[in-house]
Amino acid sequence: MSTQVHANLTREQVEQISADLDEPEWLTETRVEALEALDDLDMPDVIRTPGRDWTNLHALDFETLVDPLNAAEDKDRVSDEGIEVLEWSEALAEHGDLVEEHFASVVDPEENYLTALSTALFSAGTVIYVPEGVDAEDVKIRTQMNSRSLFNYTLVVTEESSSVTILERQSTGDDVEGERYYSGIVEVVAGENSRVQYGALQNLDEETYNYTLKRGHADTYATVDWIEGNIGSRLTKSSVETYLKGDSSETKTVGAFFGHDDQHIDIAARVWHQGEHTTADLVTRGVLDDQARSVYEGVQDVGTDAWDTSSYQRENTLMLSDESEADASPKLIINNHDTEASHSATVGQVDAQDLFYMTSRGVHPQVAKNMLVEGFFVPVLDEVDVDELRDDLEELVAERLRE
Amino acid sequence: MARLELSNLHAKVAEDDGEKILDGVDLEVFSGEIHALMGPNGSGKSTTAKVIAGHPAYEVTDGEVLLHLEEGDFGEDFEIAEDKRTWNLLELEPNERAALGIFLGFQYPAEIEGVTMTNFLRTALNAKLEEREELFEDDDAEDEAEEEDVGYETSPMEGNVDEGEVGVAEFQQLLQEKMEQLDMDSKFAQRYLNAGFSGGEKKQNEVLQAAILEPSIAVLDEIDSGLDIDRLQDVSKGINALRDEQGTGVLQITHYQRILDYVEPDHVHVMLDGKIAESGGPELAEKLEDEGYDWVREQVYETA
Repeated sequence: MSTQVHANLTREQVEQISADLDEPEWLTETRVEALEALDDLDMPDVIRTPGRDWTNLHALDFETLVDPLNAAEDKDRVSDEGIEVLEWSEALAEHGDLVEEHFASVVDPEENYLTALSTALFSAGTVIYVPEGVDAEDVKIRTQMNSRSLFNYTLVVTEESSSVTILERQSTGDDVEGERYYSGIVEVVAGENSRVQYGALQNLDEETYNYTLKRGHADTYATVDWIEGNIGSRLTKSSVETYLKGDSSETKTVGAFFGHDDQHIDIAARVWHQGEHTTADLVTRGVLDDQARSVYEGVQDVGTDAWDTSSYQRENTLMLSDESEADASPKLIINNHDTEASHSATVGQVDAQDLFYMTSRGVHPQVAKNMLVEGFFVPVLDEVDVDELRDDLEELVAERLRE
Repeated sequence: MARLELSNLHAKVAEDDGEKILDGVDLEVFSGEIHALMGPNGSGKSTTAKVIAGHPAYEVTDGEVLLHLEEGDFGEDFEIAEDKRTWNLLELEPNERAALGIFLGFQYPAEIEGVTMTNFLRTALNAKLEEREELFEDDDAEDEAEEEDVGYETSPMEGNVDEGEVGVAEFQQLLQEKMEQLDMDSKFAQRYLNAGFSGGEKKQNEVLQAAILEPSIAVLDEIDSGLDIDRLQDVSKGINALRDEQGTGVLQITHYQRILDYVEPDHVHVMLDGKIAESGGPELAEKLEDEGYDWVREQVYETA
């Protein structure tokens, strides 16, 4: 690993972050270990085509991006009856055992360089705990980033036969001169027969580099659904992943992105079928304008013991300009033949016949194009049953089209 | 009364060395008339339709497409200045042609996901009315009018500026009325434009759109293909209503005599190798049905 942050990042700083949050010793140690592992860790994998790394994470200048002791933010947490939505130090004080049991159980801090960096430095944390049998809705975590860098962590634990709908959103508040870095790790532990719907809407300013990893473990009969909306940031590297560990567990991932100017959006949707009778549905749609680029990787991995698997994946990218670029690679890995699966990806432009049909009825060409783009997102938006997320995403798309 | 005039129209596929398709088409359609345009495959019928509407895949190399209007063509209240009564359609964008009253019914209507019929049609109707205002605006008064527009937008009395001239409620009523006339299920209004429609439903929807947009001249490209007999009658009823109730001139492209039993044409034209080879009354269509196109071909090339 040649990229170094160590010049301005020390063990003392990490210990201070941990001490400020009143963290127990095990956690401080985990953070320090993650820091020390940085030297040996690689960047997360990116799509490569001959002669090209689509997302060059090595080019990120962490020296200037990371400001470890400043984590200014505005956070707004909205809870629901019967559950707990706690900020980090509070969660450690009230549910120390729960945090210790589940922290880093889904995402290994030392999985890659960026997860280790995030684990060492995170100061903004939230724990959502849903006790057995409780149904909760409208949980919201709104983060407004005011510092140069912000490391965010979210843990969701749902006990047996409970359910929760969560909306997390990131945006930028105060201006900071120069480039910025946002990093977020989300771990979801969905207990037996529980249901988690986790929606995210990222609308950071276009000076911000964004690394996000969201991963869930679904126990028997559990459902982990994701909605992943990306509108903002200068560069996004985001992966949404589910391990279907328990029999009859399910997941659905719905993704939408809209890149313009020279935004770079690298997203992945991944599922591992491990239990029997599991179902996955991965649907992503994205639009690119100007010189924006997108990279999509979809992985459906069917394990040896995953009998009776159903797994579907679709990705469509619509390009509005000749200068935009897109690469998509849907991957299907089948180790158990008792599988019904499909995967597809398309990259295309606005259909000239559709456009002519609409303009010949009197609709102005720009209006027709906007209607086609908004219509393109509809099948994805129809899958989103978090109203705030759907409405805001719709509005952001409409705004971007009319800039 | 509007009059569409094609004279000596030549067109080719818009690419280098693109195939020449139209080789001097002369044709005139008055509002209120029904014309049938027949001819074998590849003779240039669909291209004629697309060139009239402004399809970007074709390039006009010679000739003209003119639309002549008269005072009163857009209603009594709409003033058409004397110097704005003849329009060279080839200089206009497809949406501007639509604003002047040209409608193209597609042989293969586009399926547009995520855009409801209601939303699309109301947008089209309002866009047409707005564009028409702009096209006929007194050139000198233009600046003044623009200032006025700005004033409207800020006026609290105006309400939602996106609303357009025909509001949601008014449009719903209009749409429902027209759908009933065409015997269409009202659930179509909330469905996505042609998405998942059967062949017949799509064609019915084309006629519905013409009924809403009230064109001066409607060019219907094989509106009768893929229709069963019941649907053919519904569609025919719709086309007759365009002419009888709105005074629309219809240029109907068809392969079959069948629809002409229901929509009786005033004039029948036969197209051959990119030209009108023969014109006549309804009896011409019957002769074609019985004898095919060979005799037209022989006649044309013998005299040539």
